[in-house]
Amino acid sequence: MKRPLAVFLPFAVCVCLLSGCWSKKELTDLAFVIAVGLDKTEDGKYLASFQVVNPGNVAGAVQRGGGAAGVPVSIYTSTGDSLVEASRKASEKVSRLLYYAHTNLVVVGEEVAREGMDGVFDALERNQQFRTTARLVIARGHSAKDTLSVLTPIDKISANKIIKTLEFSELAWGQTMNADVWWAIRSLASPGRNPVVTGVVIEGNPKEGKRQKNVQSSVPDARVTLKGLALFKHARLIGWADGPTARGIMWVLDRIHQTNLTIPWGGKREAIGYRIVRAKTNVEADVKNGQPSILVHIKAEGDISEARVPINLADTGVLFRLEKQFERGVKQEVAKAIETAQRERTDVFGFGEAVHRADPRLWKKIEKEWHDRYFPELDVTVTADLYIRRTGLRNRPYIEE
Amino acid sequence: MESVKINARQLFVLIVLFEHGSAIVIPLGVDAKQDVWIAILLGLVFGLLLFFVYRRLFEYYPDQPLTAYLPQIVGAPLGKLLAVVYITYFLYIAARVLRDFGELLLTFAYPETPLFVLNAIMALAVMYGVYKGIEVLARTGELFLTVLYLLALAGFVLVFVSGLVDVTQLQPVLEEGWGRVWKTVWTETLYVPFGEMIVFTMLFPYMNNPVKVKRVGLGGMVLSGINLAIIMAINIAVLGPDAVSRSSFPLLDTIRRVQVAHFLERLDVLFMIALIIGGFFKISVFFYAGVVGAAHLFGVSSHQRLVYPLGLLVLLLSVAIANNYIEHIHEGLKIVTFYLHVPLQVIIPVSLLVIATIRRRFSQPTK
Repeated sequence: MKRPLAVFLPFAVCVCLLSGCWSKKELTDLAFVIAVGLDKTEDGKYLASFQVVNPGNVAGAVQRGGGAAGVPVSIYTSTGDSLVEASRKASEKVSRLLYYAHTNLVVVGEEVAREGMDGVFDALERNQQFRTTARLVIARGHSAKDTLSVLTPIDKISANKIIKTLEFSELAWGQTMNADVWWAIRSLASPGRNPVVTGVVIEGNPKEGKRQKNVQSSVPDARVTLKGLALFKHARLIGWADGPTARGIMWVLDRIHQTNLTIPWGGKREAIGYRIVRAKTNVEADVKNGQPSILVHIKAEGDISEARVPINLADTGVLFRLEKQFERGVKQEVAKAIETAQRERTDVFGFGEAVHRADPRLWKKIEKEWHDRYFPELDVTVTADLYIRRTGLRNRPYIEE
Repeated sequence: MESVKINARQLFVLIVLFEHGSAIVIPLGVDAKQDVWIAILLGLVFGLLLFFVYRRLFEYYPDQPLTAYLPQIVGAPLGKLLAVVYITYFLYIAARVLRDFGELLLTFAYPETPLFVLNAIMALAVMYGVYKGIEVLARTGELFLTVLYLLALAGFVLVFVSGLVDVTQLQPVLEEGWGRVWKTVWTETLYVPFGEMIVFTMLFPYMNNPVKVKRVGLGGMVLSGINLAIIMAINIAVLGPDAVSRSSFPLLDTIRRVQVAHFLERLDVLFMIALIIGGFFKISVFFYAGVVGAAHLFGVSSHQRLVYPLGLLVLLLSVAIANNYIEHIHEGLKIVTFYLHVPLQVIIPVSLLVIATIRRRFSQPTK
């Protein structure tokens, strides 16, 4: 009696434990959604676009020089009252199960953003497959669907192209922000901060962009390009900040890593270039007599990158005056950014959070009216300390007086 | 009682693993918002006071577990009744932690697996461990504590290296004064995990060197308390108080934020390992205490004979105690705390100590 049981039991246990995962899915049954786009249809429903990787064509396209192979990504769209509904409904079109663990990009259409992104992110942060480290951009001027449809050279998967551009443009230039879904949720949830999100535009003809032909030309018919920062008021997009204003916002948010400033010198506009290699911004709030004020202090160091007028860079006195001039330039950018935000009545800098830290009691009282009443009137002082450390491989430029 | 003994290091390891147990993964004391680390440290301080009560009781009865000296302190009928209550309590908390464990895995890793299956697999491992006895558990613990610490260190380094820590999120400190912090201490952090040290009154008699119990318990609790406070502080610094209070598992969110050099990311598995190690030891310790208590009380010769029936009971209980996760958490934070933790961790042990001290004082001259 005992022997058969002793033999049977291990078998039974093995069958139970070794039979594989409970809800296993084969790799060939999964569609890897690399980017999600969100638009509105005319009847007010969500139009979700899913950029799905076409695995055979990603590696193959590189080997075959991008010629004969098919497109590396495929776009599926579906409509629904909510994001999850649209995603489930997409199963009618996709031959595989949509799999979100590798979704790295979320594109929100400008229209959706203008109407308000209130509930958009809840499904994303609640779902265990999706990761809130996915990047977030706003499709500016075009729909999210069109933006995701454009095929891109070099980085074949256009979502990866956008992500890498976001990353390196923030590192090198600093007029766009590499923000993720997490950042947006955190800013939306905080009463003392509103989100800013980078915009993405299509340069060229989006109709041509989705054909393979687009990547067969050295100058593609359509290109996806980053452009400006979208200013949000709570969940609604209310305006755009471009160029130096956008960089001013990035300065205050302490997200400038490297960038290049140009200032006039000796009567010539854009004469001297300054390459920043390290920067740090401190934001502090000060409360006097129940009146909050903000102090923004910027510290940066870098090199001279360009000198297009005759100037003696070997002279410390000149360098000192240059530093002052660059400081003025930075302060102007920042002041312009703050002015823009105050005009739009949205605190995208997190000054409210700084006031909260400095005086929690005062904050409790003004929290509700912060963006509309207190922030636009807020007294902000900007100071900057910029240091020129080196002048590159040359001291004086070759242009003589 | 088993006749085996464990040494000081093994008891220390068990205490540390037990205290970390589920406390590192659940949103412990998040009602205190950014001051949660203060609430945990205060919970530790008062938890240490409770520990001194438990240890003093052990000093009075150095070779008996709690359920054995209860009848000696308050008399047989009441004492045995209390012993039954404690045994039930230990088994119930074992079932609760088992449920916690199953719910956590279900929520983020196995959404399509039935709860019973996950709980059953864990319960089988726990039953096997407890069947083998305390020494085996303790030795396993020595092995796993190393693993847990290596993971924790790796996690720390990665979180810091990826530049996620923003200390300003811990400010303003004591935003709403001490009130919110004390409330969290008295309703949460004192009992879980520090007051739960009551279960170790069942394990102290196994120490081969009873003098060291004080130092080992103190060391284990202080180390765990500081670790938990640091972990929660890092959670807040990475996620912000709002996200931490909305998150089902703050530590999981923190780990998911890590992105280093484009390949050290998606480290959820670190969290899973920590969860399984901690969960296993917490359930095992509670379950073991319940089983040896029952064996002793009902005069069963070997505790091993009770492991499988009681294990099945704990498994079924873990599935049956609540309809959903919200109900389970509500029971845990609002009901269990006031009706079970407060009387069984604080009121009864303290009164026991008072009675025992009085008894000794008056029985001294007759000796």
